[in-house]
Amino acid sequence: LNMAAAAADGAATAATCVRPKAWSEQVEDAYRFQLAGYRDAQEYRSVRGSDPERWNGSGFIKKLERRDGSFYYFNKVRECADKEVQQCKLYH
Amino acid sequence: MKPKTVDRAEAARQKAFTTQALQRNVNVGAPPRSGAFQEKCRSQPTQFRKFYERGDFPIALEFDTKGNKIAWKVEIEKLDYHHYLPLFFEGLAETEHPYEFFARQGVHDMLEHGGSKILPVIPQLIIPIKNALNTRNQKVCCTVLKALQHLVVSADMIGEALVPYYRQILPILNAFINKNENLGDGIDYSQQKRENLGDLIHETLNAFEIHGGEDAFINIKYMVPTYESCMLQ
Repeated sequence: LNMAAAAADGAATAATCVRPKAWSEQVEDAYRFQLAGYRDAQEYRSVRGSDPERWNGSGFIKKLERRDGSFYYFNKVRECADKEVQQCKLYH
Repeated sequence: MKPKTVDRAEAARQKAFTTQALQRNVNVGAPPRSGAFQEKCRSQPTQFRKFYERGDFPIALEFDTKGNKIAWKVEIEKLDYHHYLPLFFEGLAETEHPYEFFARQGVHDMLEHGGSKILPVIPQLIIPIKNALNTRNQKVCCTVLKALQHLVVSADMIGEALVPYYRQILPILNAFINKNENLGDGIDYSQQKRENLGDLIHETLNAFEIHGGEDAFINIKYMVPTYESCMLQ
């Protein structure tokens, strides 16, 4: 019952949180969301109501709107340095 | 009362290019320094600093960020580039935190997302770039050169648009193109961090030549005679 309720609710808390060991595109996305104060794409969608803008070539996130209404802009290339990979959180 | 002692050498020194200077046993002293490589401090704060302190920039000024990012209150796509981009370029001449951080990041973000809005603003950027380079401050020059490298690749035709302005921005690069420290067999870590001025100037001139079109090399060579082409002729 709990799991069904959690799946129905878009902003539900995640079941597990993992710290990644190596960089990947998923880690880069998580890094960009967490810099802007969100947990992941699901939380951003529930707060903002839309998916974030992405770069055409690489597919990384281009622009995020923070909770206070200001905007963060990100580069087309990788921004998450190796030393910051372990500080990211991947929620499942 | 003791008589005032006068330095004999000072007393003996005559002004150069006078009739007395032609006489025997007359010392005209060393020529005065020209100060070509000396850092020139700005007499008044930049417009960027004044606008920043008034809060006129559309950037959030709090420091709750983890990374090196500035939060924009207004979307960059909606900004008036004719007003803001020259101001941010003027802020590149700043050396104090947080002015230099906001100017550097602001220029980076605006160039990254400007697209076709950057080309019409190029003439207004030349004076701020020239003033920043004329401070002759190593850090400021490095920041401006990195901004110039980003500028020429940020959109089409910008390299060609800069060619008529080479005579205004390249003279100072000519002065510092040989500023490479001779460390013998030591390791120059400033090269890795892209803070070695001589190498950065070479990189920037290469970028100008690659993106400047056909006339770029000859115009660069006119202002920086020791520059050699990086493209196959």
